[in-house]
Amino acid sequence: MPGDRRRGLRAAFRDWRSGRPFWGGLLLALAGAEVLLTMKASLKVVLHVGMQGVAGYLLPVVMLLCGLLVLVNPSQRLFYSLIGVLASLGTWVTSNLGGFVVGLLLGCTGSCLVFGWLPDQESRRDRRRRRKAARVARTAPPPLERGAGEAA
Amino acid sequence: MASSSDLTPSAGNTPDPVSGQESGTVPEAVATTGRGRVRLRRAAVLAVPAAAVTAGLAILTAQGALGVQFAISGMPFTVTATELDGNGFAQFGGLDNMAEGSPNAGDTGGQVLVVTSVIKEAELTKLCQSVDLGGTNLLITAGGGTTRVSAKDLTTDSTELSGDAAFDNIEIGNDASTLDKAGPKGRGPIGVFSQQADTVHIKNLRQTNYATTAGVFKLPGLKMRFSGSGC
Repeated sequence: MPGDRRRGLRAAFRDWRSGRPFWGGLLLALAGAEVLLTMKASLKVVLHVGMQGVAGYLLPVVMLLCGLLVLVNPSQRLFYSLIGVLASLGTWVTSNLGGFVVGLLLGCTGSCLVFGWLPDQESRRDRRRRRKAARVARTAPPPLERGAGEAA
Repeated sequence: MASSSDLTPSAGNTPDPVSGQESGTVPEAVATTGRGRVRLRRAAVLAVPAAAVTAGLAILTAQGALGVQFAISGMPFTVTATELDGNGFAQFGGLDNMAEGSPNAGDTGGQVLVVTSVIKEAELTKLCQSVDLGGTNLLITAGGGTTRVSAKDLTTDSTELSGDAAFDNIEIGNDASTLDKAGPKGRGPIGVFSQQADTVHIKNLRQTNYATTAGVFKLPGLKMRFSGSGC
């Protein structure tokens, strides 16, 4: 009984995940968190430096929010991914070289994954098979075989 | 939906399961699973310019054309430089608080007694910064060439500071709230011992820091790497 329930939950999670750019959004949010982690200077010192110190916190927070919003509201993913990639690039200047490069790379990768994501795609194997079939049909299309293919 | 950047003939830019234009020969393969997927060419449209900008930023920083801001803490890290020249120097005691429940707190109650040094304009030769990550060190070096590292409003919270120092017009024993030589940033809490000087020169500088911030940090000849030994 509990096993059933767990399987149900897992299936529900898989469905939820497949309807949104899950890995991209997750990577982007994690990147924001990582940059924030490297930024944990005492707030007193940061306020000491002023505006630029605050920007160092602002950009990773924007990354984190964009990553979460991508998961919550995938229909706006293009906008979020563009803001996310810009914020990630900005952290190079404002926040410890983008959280010592790690956050910058994660953020850019995540944003690109979100940008490239499309809903309702056929599985990769199907696509490969179909493309191969199309190529075969294009390169050697004797009228007889083509007719046979269409009949199938 | 966005521009059809995906150029494969079967690219489904729209979610509707219309069959690919040229692949009518295999109509049964068109059924979609209802799952989203990342299309690599589409992702590359953003990935290529992002990679280019990242490389550009790294190059600009390494040439010293672009300033970078640093602010790290929680773990102590070491900064060394063969020479430091600064204009406008102030130094006072302070107490840094770690985040509540920080694993680095130990038996200190989460507080570290630090010396805060503020330098309005600083130039450093052969800067090296290392953080011990347990087993390996993250090492950042810069300013080894002809151009020196420069920083504005450089603020460091250190627990240890050593080197051969020379000061011009030093005043020792001021109240930290009355300091004026390092600008508005170089002022501490009232009732705290402090000292200030017009200029400072330190040779073979070595600091153990809990926090460094700088308005602008220019790092010509930047190199970042992991290393078995620190600075």
